[in-house]
Amino acid sequence: MKQVLTFDNVSMTYYTKTQETQALSGLSFGINQGEFVSVLGPSGCGKTTLLSLASGTLKPTDGRILLDGRQIEKTNTDVGYMLQRDHLFEWRTIYKNITLGLEIQKKLTRENIEHCERLMKEYGLAEFKNHYPMQLSGGMRQRVALIRTLALKPKVLLLDEPFSALDFQTRLHVCNDVYSIIKKEGITALLVTHDISEAISMSDRIAILTARPAKLHRMHQVNLGHVPTPLERREDPSFARQFETLWKEISQNEK
Amino acid sequence: MKNEFLSPQHKKYISKLKRHKILVFSAQTGVLVGFLLLWQLLATVGVIDSFLMSSPSRIWHTLADLYANGQLFYHVWISLYETLLGFAIGTLGGTAIAVALWWSKTLRDVLQPYIVVLNSLPKIALGPIIIVWAGTGQKAIIAMAVLISIIVTTITMLGGFLETNAEKILLLQSMDANKMQIFCKLVFPSNLSTLASCLKINVGMSWIGSIMGEYLVSKAGLGYLIVYGGQVFEMDLVMTCTIVLCLLAGGMYFGVAMLEKFFVRWKS
Repeated sequence: MKQVLTFDNVSMTYYTKTQETQALSGLSFGINQGEFVSVLGPSGCGKTTLLSLASGTLKPTDGRILLDGRQIEKTNTDVGYMLQRDHLFEWRTIYKNITLGLEIQKKLTRENIEHCERLMKEYGLAEFKNHYPMQLSGGMRQRVALIRTLALKPKVLLLDEPFSALDFQTRLHVCNDVYSIIKKEGITALLVTHDISEAISMSDRIAILTARPAKLHRMHQVNLGHVPTPLERREDPSFARQFETLWKEISQNEK
Repeated sequence: MKNEFLSPQHKKYISKLKRHKILVFSAQTGVLVGFLLLWQLLATVGVIDSFLMSSPSRIWHTLADLYANGQLFYHVWISLYETLLGFAIGTLGGTAIAVALWWSKTLRDVLQPYIVVLNSLPKIALGPIIIVWAGTGQKAIIAMAVLISIIVTTITMLGGFLETNAEKILLLQSMDANKMQIFCKLVFPSNLSTLASCLKINVGMSWIGSIMGEYLVSKAGLGYLIVYGGQVFEMDLVMTCTIVLCLLAGGMYFGVAMLEKFFVRWKS
């Protein structure tokens, strides 16, 4: 299988006036085409750093990050980013929010606009086209944020705890929603989270990181490939078993 | 159209809101009318000296005289022109400086102490310097109005720009936006309400500047009339001009408030 995103022996050190902090130390793993991989680790272990590196907004101190075999040098349009909050621009309509990236990259071609229109129609946003974000519920807003990212046709989608700002009920539904859109569009995704059950319910594989400076502790294969949606996965008997295994591993890492 | 489907409780709630609005408005009118009546009454019966305190009827006559001999609009126009020009230059200039300071952290760090000092300095102290440099004409008055509003605008706008959500900037960066795009698509539009409050502050600031400028140097304008009236002990003129000034400043503030509504129309 083709590897889309590869972390090759990546290290990252931050400097401030008084100290240096090593966030990552020799981290290596890869994500295959169409795969959903989560990164789990104790809090403050450099998970968000990982995504900033993959998006090209940060440069690694050492090692390489490859996208489709080519080293990531700077921010590029092949990587889509979805953050904790939806960060919709309140003064723009839903349509204008979705086409924001295209506007910035000066790619408002007919083909791309049609792609946006299709996504909006397919995922029930067409009727809210001229609404403002304020008029939408939290779940809907997060869906708009996802479509905004997909409008740029990214090769890889990076998700930085995209559901943590939602209440639990909404969270489960939005999680389901986002998952099904990602799978339907065949997007390769890298999710960063501290929520073990979220990781199990969405991923094909889970990269477990050690405490800071983080490196790969173990790659966990989620054995729920036959169960279609995150909500159903949560009800699977082996879900609880896997949860316990991962929880123990992560707790040990924290010490 | 909406009203047809309202429940009785909802109608009750709305009429309660309406009643409150009417109450507030009539009380506001009442305070004004009561104040004028009392003032007039006290002046008529001689409790207060209308030579010192003037009176509504005398103000009214002064106003009518000023209007009849064409003086009113002449002076109003001069003051309004100075204020509006000072307001526009101060707001635009201050915003432009704020943009430059947002753009370059080095420039910001270098200029910070100077801005702090200029902000704390009472601008009236610069009056003599301005007069020497800009002459004793309208230029000096406009310069005063600009000076008073530009520093506040710079500080307020820069503060707003710098508080732009960092994650939103990250989002745009991940979309490969350059600094210019980050400013135009995010930093500026997210600070339209900051700009609106700046405009509101500057209404007051530019009036202070122009009237103060007219106190220092001028041959015409409302500030000139007020000073002149004070010197010749014509309190009717002073009071009349002050009231006209209130109306003008109020009107300008109202205009800015309407503009703000237009800026943030996505909120409704």
